[in-house]
Amino acid sequence: MLSRIARNIFELGQQIERAENIARILDVNQRMSLEQHYFSELDVWSPMLAITNSREAFDERYGEVTRDNVLAFLISDTTHPYSIRTCLNHAREMARTIRERISEEMWLYLNKMYLGMEKVKNSGRQDSFLAEVRQFCSAFHGLVDNTMSHDESWNFMRLGISLERALMTSRILEIKYHLLLPSADEIGKPLDLHQWQALLRSVSGYEAYRRKYKARIEPPKVINLLNLDSRFPRSIHYCIRQLHEALQGIRISNRQQYMLSRETEIFLDDLRGGAAGEDVLGMGLKGYLESVQKRCGKISTMIYQTFFDSVTITVIHGNNERLSLQIPQQQQR
Amino acid sequence: MHGNPPLIHATGAARWDEAFLPDGSIRPAYRQAFGHFEALGTAGVESLQHSADLSMLNQGVTFTVYSDARGTEKIFPFDLMPRIIDAHEWQKIEQGVAQRMVALNLFLEDVYHGQKILKAGVVPTSQIMRSTLFCREMSGLNPPGKVHVHIGGIDLIRNESGEFHVLEDNLRCPSGVSYVIENRWVMGRVQPELLKQYRVRPVDHYPQMLFDSLASLSARDNPTVAVLTPGTYNSAYFEHSFLANQMGAELVEGQDLLVDQDVLYMKTTRGLQRVDVLYLRVDTDFLDPLAFRPDSVLGVPGIMHAYRAGNVALANAPGNGVADDKALYAYTPEIIRYYLDEEPILPIVPTYLGSRATDLRYMLEHLRELVVKPTDASGGYGLLVGSHASKKELEAFRSQLAANPDHYIAQPIQQLSTHPTWVEQDGGHGFFPRHVDLRPFAVCDVHGDVRVLPGGLTRVALRQGSLVVNSSQGGGSKDTWVLYPENGAEASRA
Repeated sequence: MLSRIARNIFELGQQIERAENIARILDVNQRMSLEQHYFSELDVWSPMLAITNSREAFDERYGEVTRDNVLAFLISDTTHPYSIRTCLNHAREMARTIRERISEEMWLYLNKMYLGMEKVKNSGRQDSFLAEVRQFCSAFHGLVDNTMSHDESWNFMRLGISLERALMTSRILEIKYHLLLPSADEIGKPLDLHQWQALLRSVSGYEAYRRKYKARIEPPKVINLLNLDSRFPRSIHYCIRQLHEALQGIRISNRQQYMLSRETEIFLDDLRGGAAGEDVLGMGLKGYLESVQKRCGKISTMIYQTFFDSVTITVIHGNNERLSLQIPQQQQR
Repeated sequence: MHGNPPLIHATGAARWDEAFLPDGSIRPAYRQAFGHFEALGTAGVESLQHSADLSMLNQGVTFTVYSDARGTEKIFPFDLMPRIIDAHEWQKIEQGVAQRMVALNLFLEDVYHGQKILKAGVVPTSQIMRSTLFCREMSGLNPPGKVHVHIGGIDLIRNESGEFHVLEDNLRCPSGVSYVIENRWVMGRVQPELLKQYRVRPVDHYPQMLFDSLASLSARDNPTVAVLTPGTYNSAYFEHSFLANQMGAELVEGQDLLVDQDVLYMKTTRGLQRVDVLYLRVDTDFLDPLAFRPDSVLGVPGIMHAYRAGNVALANAPGNGVADDKALYAYTPEIIRYYLDEEPILPIVPTYLGSRATDLRYMLEHLRELVVKPTDASGGYGLLVGSHASKKELEAFRSQLAANPDHYIAQPIQQLSTHPTWVEQDGGHGFFPRHVDLRPFAVCDVHGDVRVLPGGLTRVALRQGSLVVNSSQGGGSKDTWVLYPENGAEASRA
């Protein structure tokens, strides 16, 4: 497959996933802030900027962190790369370049969403828009799995989706523990529980948690579900397994691609075995989540290097001498 | 028709109308179509039109308008009433188009080799050698099978005589064939019952025709064919992606390609893969920064070398512009006679050349009766329709023309034929006469065999009285039906 096409498929998956995650966290926050009379002093909006890694871009454009500003910034402001609209515009632009690789249904559906978004532009119905985005992304995932051949294209898309999802889950957890953390005497109080509930809801994990643990919400169990559970589709474990499977489905043709595959395998082993659990205890949650993000970052860099940004030239000398060279290619973007 | 206002209007039709006879009665081939639309009524047609537009938009069957700063994608408005051409008329078009393709191929091969036609004085040497479209890099280069034009689109019009005339040859990147196929597809979706009433020749095998002719250019088994596009911001990007997709070929940009040891490769996730045939949808000027414009980032450095070495076939060959130049057009009948020793099957429109002193004088004196076109532009940019220009515009154009006469040609204003088209006029919706042209498409393989697609792009000027049909100037399009011989419109099946 053309390297550029592979990269565009990867980024299509990534952007759709990012749009969905932004919609999810905003949606939950909306609901949380409706109950603000209960704990009005809490700033629930700054963490949204931290989760999306967009604080700097926000400060350049808006003065105060208020509900309206953050919503405007993360939903419809297309002057920076962190809003839902930017993600979906970008996804549609990518899809245009790979129409022959994705199914007709995927294109039609994405294009309809894009055109519809143009229409509702600045109308104030944010709640229904967020719900629409979540619904759209879920349906899009369904189309990806059910209308596309499960070939290399599909696997590159899965790479983009699962890597982005793992990163998001880790950021969401990080925020809870280090920005939302109330003073020590609040732990276990209604406010704290309320926040854990919101966090579970933002990853559609509330029901999964209840079914699995039944009991009241306990932070260590939430952390366990979102990190180590092998069946919950937004846990880091699950995402890395998807990533690993996707890589298995892409034919490996050089050493660096092999190294990438090894890297994910080791990561997966850590999550599957006890290593990750021990890390949480050893490094503390913050240290552990940072290490997860670092590993995801490394995998992302390796994906770009081995599949998108370099070419392998195989030089054949005579009959049995083969020499594979990897040369970086210039990006003309 | 019991007191209801008629849906289809003949008033304002040109001397030759595609659907109405001069006495105002309906041409036989159109009778069933008229019955179909009358039965639908205004509301029925509007609702079908709406669903056709929506289908185009959702499919992304769009083009990009350059003058619009945001590069907005627009649909190419699709008209519900098909343009119907009977088998007899089509036969002449088919033969005429093939004849031109063959003759112009011979001309290009000659111009880039022995130049016999120039020595014989049939075409003035200065006309060719001073043309900015003459491509020195093609001199002495031997394309596979000596074929230069692999894909051609020939613009035809029908004037008041009712005879088809050639208006222009497009031998570089003729576009529009994707709309031919999409229009038929939409037609089949929104008006299947109408389509079923006629015996219409299919057009959806075009990608196969194109692929076969491209693949024939390579001597290698199972050659890799790729389509080179400037990218998503190009106005015809939809078509590039459509054709690549339909042919199962890779759609590549310049950045995806590299030339090593005179062989063209594309960069893939598994390393380099050789490309044998490249269908060019990028202007020659931008093709190879080493040979042409050095600032181009759309092309591939060294590709002309690989071409010259015979390691890759390019279609269309670079340098074809010298044969579809608007000034050369005036010589095309002579070119056909010179190479084929035949009379041109399709006549051309009388043409005055700014480079001829007597013609220029005529042009300056009769500007109001002429269409004046720059020789090196397309898409309807920079042309003047004398009868529709204001006094001020005429004056401005006259001085431009006098200052740079070689740059212009002129033709008597042609009364394009009209065709009933769904528009708003006089405060209501209905089918009113609008001017149309026709662009059939032809492909030529390595053996020089030309195949013409039975159909073509009928473009229609949606503004009342307008003669400019280009999509970039607000034109629309129609599905074009070429009927099988004998029973054009079958007798009622009921």
